[in-house]
Amino acid sequence: MNLADALGEGLQVTVLGLSIVFAVLVILMIVLYLFRVIFYKDPKKQTENVNEAKQIGMRYMTGGAEATYTTDKNHNEPYEPDDIPEEELVAILTAAVAASLNTSTYNLRIKSYKRVGGLSSAWNRAGVNETINNRF
Amino acid sequence: MGSTGLAAMLGDMRAAFAAGDFLQAIGTPLMIAIACLLLYLAIVKKFEPLLLLPIAFGMLLTNMPMFKGSSAIMMHTEFFTNPEYMLDGSHIDIQRVVSEGGLLDLLYLGVKLGIYPPLIFVGIGCMTDFGPLIANPKSILLGAAAQFGVFFTFLGALVLSALVPAISFGVKEAASIGIIGGADGPTAIYVTKTLAPALLPAIAIAAYSYMALIPVIQPPIMKALTTKKQRQIVMEQLRPVSKTEKILFPIIVTIVVAFIIPDAVALVGCLMLGNLLKESGVADRLSKTAQNGLMNVITIFLGVTVGATATAESFLNPQTLGIIVLGLIAFCFSTAGGLLLGDLMCVLTKGKVNPLIGSAGVSAVPMAARVSQMVGQKENPSNFLLMHAMGPNVAGVIGSAVAAGVFLSLFS
Repeated sequence: MNLADALGEGLQVTVLGLSIVFAVLVILMIVLYLFRVIFYKDPKKQTENVNEAKQIGMRYMTGGAEATYTTDKNHNEPYEPDDIPEEELVAILTAAVAASLNTSTYNLRIKSYKRVGGLSSAWNRAGVNETINNRF
Repeated sequence: MGSTGLAAMLGDMRAAFAAGDFLQAIGTPLMIAIACLLLYLAIVKKFEPLLLLPIAFGMLLTNMPMFKGSSAIMMHTEFFTNPEYMLDGSHIDIQRVVSEGGLLDLLYLGVKLGIYPPLIFVGIGCMTDFGPLIANPKSILLGAAAQFGVFFTFLGALVLSALVPAISFGVKEAASIGIIGGADGPTAIYVTKTLAPALLPAIAIAAYSYMALIPVIQPPIMKALTTKKQRQIVMEQLRPVSKTEKILFPIIVTIVVAFIIPDAVALVGCLMLGNLLKESGVADRLSKTAQNGLMNVITIFLGVTVGATATAESFLNPQTLGIIVLGLIAFCFSTAGGLLLGDLMCVLTKGKVNPLIGSAGVSAVPMAARVSQMVGQKENPSNFLLMHAMGPNVAGVIGSAVAAGVFLSLFS
């Protein structure tokens, strides 16, 4: 086979082959989008409906008075570091540093602290990393 | 003394020297050294040990020096590749294999008749969760883009054989080499045993070695084709997938693939059978057997017999070197294909897709997805890309099986 023939045949098969691979997978992608439409119910919409029902229920129970029902944000939103009282946080940090330096908390004074690496807690991240390393 | 293996090896070496074939003269000791090197990589470096170890030991067994015609020979590669030993010069003489063959000859029938790779796919199907792919359908395109390397290398192999006189790859050989880029061992074996059986040992060893080297090969390409900002993108959490969707998926995939490319059904169908055994929840015992006992038994048979085809005559030639180089090119271009489509998706979705998941489109499950996770986490320690990368990763398995089906329907 000379170079021109090789290039000709190679390009022809490459275009045909990639087209077939993309065609099959695009069809599967469309099927999967249909799955989403048919089988998936958006939980946000569901939560809104539930909340609405709850509020109507509350109004009914309070005899039509103004309902002051609020949803618990912490269930849906990421963990907020501000949730822990500062004094407790400083105590935890001091104890952790003392433990890792093998010294007493009396020898340490926390002057300032800064959260690094996003909002998820280090314990959470370490747990996920360990699972990934063990299972995959 | 005259009947020992050492005497046989020295006799062969003398004969090869006399014939002026230096490479074959040192063939036996060289192949034993290569087998020992692969054993070292499998045991000490832990490169895909579940497959590399049986392959390397099969290679060692087949290269043990024996006298011609000895009943102790475990593998006769000539029964499967030499027209003189075949019926009508092209079909295996099963009667001869059964009556004169050794243990490995009999086991090799499972490779030659295309039994082992689909059975391995049943086990892989049982271990695969298509949930991330169902949750994020567009990631299936990344699995298709990663097949770019397969076809590019097919083209490259044809061009190389047109330019280098010592290498002569026809379309069948080029297709078998290209499929290495699919990063899927059983698929590569399935295509090669049909299209280019003589190249089977080199292609199988190249495919599995590169799969083991994914954590070394992919990261530099990933860094070269993405920006730091893109690598730091945190993707939205995937939606939950219902059991009904997971059960319907394997059934629909099998039907769609069979309608379009019937030659891919042996692989895709078995993959989906395994997945349905798992997802249906009613065949738990079968699913457990397929992913443990069955798959392990087949892996041993497949590994040892593929390794046993690597005799000095079939392995030590310029073509093997060509296959190893082209296999690496195939891998790199498949990775690049997935990444480039990932970049495009990142731009089109205004930064919602992290392009690193594109490299997982090569089908080595789950190593390629792990590499995406690893590289992403280096840039942003609180980023978990693994499940996002599993989508393209399992799509890559389907993509490479379809690419294999294309080659088989065109050239077999």
